[in-house]
Amino acid sequence: MTMTAPTSIESTGLRAARAFRSYGIVGALALLVAAITIAQPGFLAYGNLMNILSQWAPVAIMGIGMTYVVITGGFDLSVGAIYSLCAVTAAAIGRTEAPVVAFTVAILAGMIAGAANGFVVTGLRVNPFIATLGTSLIISGVTLVLTGNAAFVVDFEPFTVLGSGRLLGVPYSGMLMVALMIVAGFVLSYTPFGQSIYAVGGNAEASRLAGIRTSLVTGSSYAISGLAAGIAGVITASQLSSAQPNLNPNLVFDVLTVVIVGGTSLTGGRGAIWRTAIGVAILATLQNGFNLLDVDAYYQNIIKGVIIIAALATVDWHRFVRPRSGRRPSTTDL
Amino acid sequence: MSTGIHETAVALSVRALTKTYPGVIALSDVSLTVREGEVYGLVGENGAGKSTLMKTITGAIQQDSGSIELWGEDLPGGDPHRAAAAGVAMIYQELTIVPEMSALANVLLGRLPSRLGFIDRRAARREYANAARLVGMNVPASAQAGTLSTATQQLLEIMRALASGRRLVIMDEPTASLGPEDIQRLHDVIRGLKSTGHAIVYVSHDLEAVLEVCDTVTVLREGRVVETRSAADWTRRGLIGAMLGGIALDAAGTPPAQALLGPPLLRIEGLRAPGVDVSRLDILPGEIVGLAGLVGSGRTRMLRAIAGADPIEAGTLWVGDAQRSWPRTPRQAVRLGIVLAPEDRKAQGLVLDRPSAWNVALGQFGATGRRKPVLLKRLIAWARRATERVGFSSDRLGANAGTLSGGNQQKLILARLISRPVSCLLLDEPTRGIDIGAKEQIFNVTRQIAAEGRAIIWSSSDLDEVVRHSDRILVVAGGRVVAELPRGASVHDVLELSFAATTAAEHETEVAA
Repeated sequence: MTMTAPTSIESTGLRAARAFRSYGIVGALALLVAAITIAQPGFLAYGNLMNILSQWAPVAIMGIGMTYVVITGGFDLSVGAIYSLCAVTAAAIGRTEAPVVAFTVAILAGMIAGAANGFVVTGLRVNPFIATLGTSLIISGVTLVLTGNAAFVVDFEPFTVLGSGRLLGVPYSGMLMVALMIVAGFVLSYTPFGQSIYAVGGNAEASRLAGIRTSLVTGSSYAISGLAAGIAGVITASQLSSAQPNLNPNLVFDVLTVVIVGGTSLTGGRGAIWRTAIGVAILATLQNGFNLLDVDAYYQNIIKGVIIIAALATVDWHRFVRPRSGRRPSTTDL
Repeated sequence: MSTGIHETAVALSVRALTKTYPGVIALSDVSLTVREGEVYGLVGENGAGKSTLMKTITGAIQQDSGSIELWGEDLPGGDPHRAAAAGVAMIYQELTIVPEMSALANVLLGRLPSRLGFIDRRAARREYANAARLVGMNVPASAQAGTLSTATQQLLEIMRALASGRRLVIMDEPTASLGPEDIQRLHDVIRGLKSTGHAIVYVSHDLEAVLEVCDTVTVLREGRVVETRSAADWTRRGLIGAMLGGIALDAAGTPPAQALLGPPLLRIEGLRAPGVDVSRLDILPGEIVGLAGLVGSGRTRMLRAIAGADPIEAGTLWVGDAQRSWPRTPRQAVRLGIVLAPEDRKAQGLVLDRPSAWNVALGQFGATGRRKPVLLKRLIAWARRATERVGFSSDRLGANAGTLSGGNQQKLILARLISRPVSCLLLDEPTRGIDIGAKEQIFNVTRQIAAEGRAIIWSSSDLDEVVRHSDRILVVAGGRVVAELPRGASVHDVLELSFAATTAAEHETEVAA
């Protein structure tokens, strides 16, 4: 029967629709950039772009970790808390120790917190949403207890190099962000581990029966998310040369937004780092454009909210269409 | 058997139905007539056009040309609501029961009678009772649907169709997940519906069931009607021949193993797990061991326990002559050379929106080269060898697994198993819902694999198949191996032993209680 089965009956229209679904987000970014450049040509100025890069590096780096978690079918609400913990840790240690030591300890703390998330989700089998909501509270609480809600100011020039240093105008933090995205994107797309992330998100039971250590893969994604939040926290501490608990309570929403707007599916199994990069670019362009055009901050939130909803509606529109038109006929079972 | 039917009113009349998809003709000039009180069988390989035909009748898809009439009413096509209003109901293989709701709520789903805005409980119970009488069912209205057996859930679905006044019921693979007893019960229900003037379209790969219950059988091949005859004029062989295009298959089954050489490849002792109790089992290299048993006999649990997929309470395992600790995960089992092809291909075996080659590589993405990036191109080249062995066309290695037929999906999983160095393959229901051509290929491949000195333990609800394609048959009931039959045993023996064991086990629990 396989001999007579056609190799493809997919119409060009369907292929076009799929291509739009996959790459439409790139077009959206191009349109947005074009619109804002026309309204305010200063947007494309080298200095402005470099500032955006440095400003958005923490969110973008956390977005990398979140992308891993979301592709496994999970969710990480605790990245904001881990980010604050690591920023405070870096600043507290950085007052007396060398920046390298402070940063390393802080990033390790983030990874350990992430691994703890992984354990709660895979070992204790708590729903990821609830698990990371819980650990988020625990981590924030621990940070407050340890610091007594005090800010730490680092008065040591080398501490600020990572966050504020530049080479030919390009911020180090932006370089680090790009490097991490390239590495993380490569790992996800081209290594057995990365493909296992997709496998677990696509069908956890099939992956387990096929011999994938699903708990380890899922757990690792949370550890990576924690690690990324740690790096982001360190960058912020270095940028501000200080840190305090509750640095940015809304950060977790920005991180989720860049991942979702990029088109990584919340149901798991689908997504990519380049998508998150596009998501960051869209959000950053928008926010910077608003500032350049003097749009009220209150309106900014409204528009961001609309964009998140619009992005999800685009990504998943076929789910609404499918049941009415019948399931798409498969290629062989006609 | 079918006397009298020809005088009854025509329920469904399909004339010159044609449907094409880009590059393929799904239906070509299909005509058929179903009368009230008739059970109309529709058989054909996967891809023969059965699904398209059913979907066209139910209005899920629109035909290119041709007409569909229901009780004389011309249906425009492509309008599911109108088709439903005209009296068509479809019972899918995957049931649409809401497990959390009561039997009554499931039967009257979406159309509970109401009075003054409140549910009219009395009217609802009356409607439920009417539908229950039609199918001869005595499940209480308040029973939670999820706790009922698959067979009973299927009856609920039939009741739902009847309660909403549907008179033409199309059933897609109704016996696929039923044991022999339940099939008999379903067929009794169908005969009852005949007598009340309902028309049934019975679509199935289960040829024995089709021949038993249908009045008329039509064979489809490549979108065309090959032949329509009264069921009494068909034989199993004749049906297969018509489905495959005139080539009658060798019905002899899998050839026996050449020589079974000890020592055992695998020895299991004192295996206990929830619902499983196996005192001792030796598996020899080169043999195909079939697990036969009724639905719920514990075949799946047994295979899953051996594959490390479910936790066990106790058990000792020898691989070759070395005692090994019992695998606690499928990964550990794979390392011992034991690997499982799970019962539910789609839910447990494949990642449907990923390419076929990727699915072959699932769990061993590093196989294409430890230091090289994993690329689809490389996966396709790598998967070619294993997929060619199982008769999977290499052209389709780039296609997503979800777009394949059941037979091809099963071949993909088989290719995954044989692409690793394993010695014992556990195949749970490898032939469920797949067409005869693919089945034969799978049986041939499993024999070849076994002949290389590996062992195969497999199960099927189709006892005839188990008997014809195994070197040794283990009759399973209540999670135990209750009897062992040699090659060539009859289905009758297997059934007798399983029924006897099942009744004994029930008796035992009664006494214990």
